Amino acid sequence: MRLANISRERMYDIIRGPVITEKATFGSEHAQVTFRVVMDATKPEIKAAVEGLFAVKVKAVNTLRQQGKRKRFRGHPGRRAAYKKAFVSLEEGQSIDVTTGI
Amino acid sequence: MIEVTQTSAEGLKREFKVVVDNTMIEERVGAKLGELAGRISLPGFRPGKVPLSLLKKRYGDAVRGEVLEETVSEGTQRALSDQGLRAAVRPEIEITKFEEGGGLEYTLSIEAFPEIEPVDFSSIAVEQLRAQPTEERIQSHLEWMAKAQTTYETEENREARSGDAVVIDFVGRRDGVEFEGGSAQDFQFVLGSGAFIPEFDDRLVGVTAGRHLDIDMTFPDTYPVEELAGQHAVFEIDVKEVKRPEAPAVDDELAAKMGVENLEELRKAVSDQIRSDYDRVSRERVKRKLLDALAERCDFEIPRGLVDDEFEEIWKRLGEEHKTSDEGGDEEGPPKSEEEAKEEYRAIAERRVGLGLLLSDVGRRNNIEVQQDEIDRAMAEYARQFPGREREVVRELRDDPRVIARFRGPILEDKVVDFILEMADVGEREVTPDELLDERGDDEESSS
Repeated sequence: MRLANISRERMYDIIRGPVITEKATFGSEHAQVTFRVVMDATKPEIKAAVEGLFAVKVKAVNTLRQQGKRKRFRGHPGRRAAYKKAFVSLEEGQSIDVTTGI
Repeated sequence: MIEVTQTSAEGLKREFKVVVDNTMIEERVGAKLGELAGRISLPGFRPGKVPLSLLKKRYGDAVRGEVLEETVSEGTQRALSDQGLRAAVRPEIEITKFEEGGGLEYTLSIEAFPEIEPVDFSSIAVEQLRAQPTEERIQSHLEWMAKAQTTYETEENREARSGDAVVIDFVGRRDGVEFEGGSAQDFQFVLGSGAFIPEFDDRLVGVTAGRHLDIDMTFPDTYPVEELAGQHAVFEIDVKEVKRPEAPAVDDELAAKMGVENLEELRKAVSDQIRSDYDRVSRERVKRKLLDALAERCDFEIPRGLVDDEFEEIWKRLGEEHKTSDEGGDEEGPPKSEEEAKEEYRAIAERRVGLGLLLSDVGRRNNIEVQQDEIDRAMAEYARQFPGREREVVRELRDDPRVIARFRGPILEDKVVDFILEMADVGEREVTPDELLDERGDDEESSS
């Protein structure tokens, strides 16, 4: 994966926050961290952002789009916003403390 | 491991250095977190499945604070119980070191309650003065009662004299203008009672019903209504009736009016009442003497902290009283300098604290306790001052622990005093009522 050439602002925009769930903590045992990212972020962009912001080496990035659930509010149909999750595998020995924030 | 070392002992003051090692603190923090883990629920985790590392991040500091507090109080307890001390005032704690991984170190300074030697009460001799109600006193009380029952009868053509009641209409004008409260119709008052405008008392002597007169007068400067004090006014008065006072004689009829069978009964009731008054005074005085005697035996060291507290209390109350009674005219003796006054009140505070400690110690040693129903009774007594809302007052009082403490104090004091009096060498001396009442207030306030 080539490294995307992006600005510092774009990096902060891309990473919206860590996903902190039981499932995500399993990943952290294998040097994998999970983020919510903006919908239009590409894998190379995410790799560049994580490397740039957390000063780590990224081995691979997997992404998925989580579609928003259909919900009804007072009888009116609606839809929650969709979002993109990025599973970032880090090189051996690297780690990110997701709870400290940036 | 909690290690306590005493660093200084000066009179009742003690200082300790308490060291708690790190493993103990970490252990406790861990245990607390483990406890939390079972209960806490965070979004993204099933209840009880939150990883410990995350909990530590999120709640570590709070838990640490809690543990610190617990450990400090435990260390303090340990320090006190090891030495067999009781703290008189809140211990002062200064944390000298508390850091992650470094354990805890703090200094603790306290003031202990003094060891109080049990006083041998039988060595205390006090004299209790007793008095019996005299014939004259009963008689004068009866007459006073009769007078309070005075009725007034209208009498035609009577010239009013002091003690008579007159019924008047009056209109008061100031500079030709009627002023508020200066007029009334069919107003009855008793001449010479001083209850109304004093000028009226003098000028209406000798009038008969039907007279019309003007009174030209100046209100005294001390008249309670401020706008009128020192003002000139003219009152136009119509005298409607003059009434003769009809004081009932001291006889069975009066007794009936007061709700008893006959005069004999009434006399007895009055005598009983006076006697119970005397008994109360007598007890108060013997109590004072006893406390005086005890104060001399307060030869233990008195914790400074408590004296300071008490002194502050007195001083503050004094300051407030001073503010309310602005002019210092009612003070006895020449005004003292602040220094002197402080000195004096400090001595009083010391005496009070000493006596308080001594009495509570006696109470504790002899298992004298205040029962709930005694407090209830005292409250009911107090509530009677608010007729019509007794129930409400009592309910309010019962819910406030501070109020209960305030009621408990005097009751305990009384009981302890009773207890001591029983053991002390109490001599009785019969005196006249005047002597009994006369010597009151010649020594300073001594209840604690």
